[in-house]
Amino acid sequence: MEVFGDLAGGFATALHPINMAMLFVAVVLGLVIGVLPGLGGTSGVAILLPITVFIAHGSLPGSDATTAIIFLAGIYWGALFGGVITSILFNIPGEPWAVVLLFDGFPLAKRLGKPGLALSSSFVSSFLGALVSTILFTFFALPIALKALEFGPAELFAVFLLSFATLIGLGAEAPMKSVAMLALGLLLAAVGFDTITGEQRLNFGQVSLLSGIGFVPVTIGLFGIGEILASAEEQGIGFVENIPARLGLTDVFEALRELRKRLRLVLSNAIIGFFFGVLPGHGATAASFLGYGLARQYSSNKENFGKGEISGIMGPQAAADSAGVASLVPMITLGIPGSPTSAVIMAGLFIWGLQPGPVLFIQHPDFVWGLIASIYLGHLLTFILCLLAVPLLAMIMRVPYAIITPFIVVISIIGSYSLNNSMLDVFITVVFGLIGYWLRKMKYPLAPLVVALVLGDSTERELRKALIAGHGSPLYFFNSALSTVLIVAAVVLVLIPLVRTIRARRRGAAQAAVAHP
Amino acid sequence: MVVLIAAVAMFDSRAAFSPSAGTAPGDVGARWYPFWAASIMGVASVIVGYRALTTPQGAEGAFEGSRSLFAVLKLAVPMFAYALLIGGIKWRTTDFTYTVIPPFGFYLSTALYMGLFAWWLGRYKVWWVGAIAVAFPIVIFAVFELGFRVSLPKSFLYETGILPF
Repeated sequence: MEVFGDLAGGFATALHPINMAMLFVAVVLGLVIGVLPGLGGTSGVAILLPITVFIAHGSLPGSDATTAIIFLAGIYWGALFGGVITSILFNIPGEPWAVVLLFDGFPLAKRLGKPGLALSSSFVSSFLGALVSTILFTFFALPIALKALEFGPAELFAVFLLSFATLIGLGAEAPMKSVAMLALGLLLAAVGFDTITGEQRLNFGQVSLLSGIGFVPVTIGLFGIGEILASAEEQGIGFVENIPARLGLTDVFEALRELRKRLRLVLSNAIIGFFFGVLPGHGATAASFLGYGLARQYSSNKENFGKGEISGIMGPQAAADSAGVASLVPMITLGIPGSPTSAVIMAGLFIWGLQPGPVLFIQHPDFVWGLIASIYLGHLLTFILCLLAVPLLAMIMRVPYAIITPFIVVISIIGSYSLNNSMLDVFITVVFGLIGYWLRKMKYPLAPLVVALVLGDSTERELRKALIAGHGSPLYFFNSALSTVLIVAAVVLVLIPLVRTIRARRRGAAQAAVAHP
Repeated sequence: MVVLIAAVAMFDSRAAFSPSAGTAPGDVGARWYPFWAASIMGVASVIVGYRALTTPQGAEGAFEGSRSLFAVLKLAVPMFAYALLIGGIKWRTTDFTYTVIPPFGFYLSTALYMGLFAWWLGRYKVWWVGAIAVAFPIVIFAVFELGFRVSLPKSFLYETGILPF
């Protein structure tokens, strides 16, 4: 099998001393970011993205773009694990995907007095979920990429359209808000020079806007600053609970025994999480709720859920970590991010001078396989660190607000400035921080905005290339069977919420009619 | 409730103004795509606004009391000031450029900013405030300037040679 040879080469790359060192640093940073409630995985990756530019260009001895992606992805793995620690010990979710662990993780730790078991159950199922997902990643990535190499502009545009449609059709928020955010992202991406004709647009005569609005300052603002502002509002809630925790080997063995009883649940949730994560725009958070629902649905003792049932920890964790890994698959193979975090990582690829998508497998196989190998290593490392360092990580929660909050602002500003040495970028970050906070408050989803912002240019380019090839006729998109199928699927996905609303209204009307005959 | 509706309307109008930038739908040129993106956004936000106006809202408004608004402002206002302080403010007229605030550069601004939070929100003792204000810029200098070789903005005192940062 060719895959094993490629993977072995990947391990050779990933095991380079500098790559291992950066993976270690990244995982530790990711765990810290995961534990801090005001800072999420996406923000962490966005804030540290500018630093990777210096890593990719060899500021550290022996580092290159592969080191940079291993670093960025490692932060994500750390955050995927770290977010649960505060959910279980403090009843405060460190990350959005750790919210479900409040239902059963915290009760198991508090009421049943088994914090060690709760934590180790979460870690073993996360690890297994991620492992399953990485194996699927290893075998699926190359075939998808090779197929995608045959795509023309029409097919590519259809794929982009489908990914936008999933954001609208399967989003958790009101679909019209997703549409508005999507269009805003496309609009922001269009600022500056037009890629085909070179015409200036939407810059209102400002020279500094000609190169477009940078993805990095916008994302650091929306996620980094936006989250800090949102959590500032929630301050004063304070620490409700604080359970001291120490993980012993007995806890780990007990968790493994519990895992054996639930192996089918964890494996099936991991596989479902993988396919869910591949769909654009969702990633770990949505998968964790889905995983909890499935665990409850197929459990023989449903009444234990909410009181510290271990399936309620293992089910969502397996799905969430699996989806987190899987969200990188469409990014690497097709150039379409599966989650906001992978959208940020994809922007990193652009900045390092790489083109995400199928060509990556041909031109930079060492990069792709090094990344895949590092996912195995990164999760192993995170798992071991989690088992050893829980008391230390729990201490991070005691760093006072008056220090940690301004520090995150300072790091965000360094990040947005250093990419282009531009104070304009700093102000874009601050302004988008306020916008991000406001959008959060008004319950507008941020995922469509970020995905559209990073895909805007390519979408427009492929659309116009296809229209030029078809002499302006939109029928060109229906020349190939694949693009026809994809476009029809996209239309159906957009219509789903509409049909749901109409149905709900009809049912409501019918019920009203029954109530008042 | 009024606050919330006003907020949605504000957001709405902000969104609806933007199509004015791409008013040349004509042939498929540079303007076609942003125009349609903007129109879709306008239509979607009008629908969202309409829904928000027609569905009953809770009476508490967007902010839960003035305390949470204050908590956000406490963070947002110093952040703006901090960003302004790094680059300084210049007032340009046709023949003169007045310096309203000289650029404090990254390190001095950070010291002031971190110190302010430690003193104001943290209510630490004076020597702790001083230690925080000095320690953080030094660590940042070591990591970024020496480690990653990132050059951060320097102060007006750097240009005159009084300070090394």
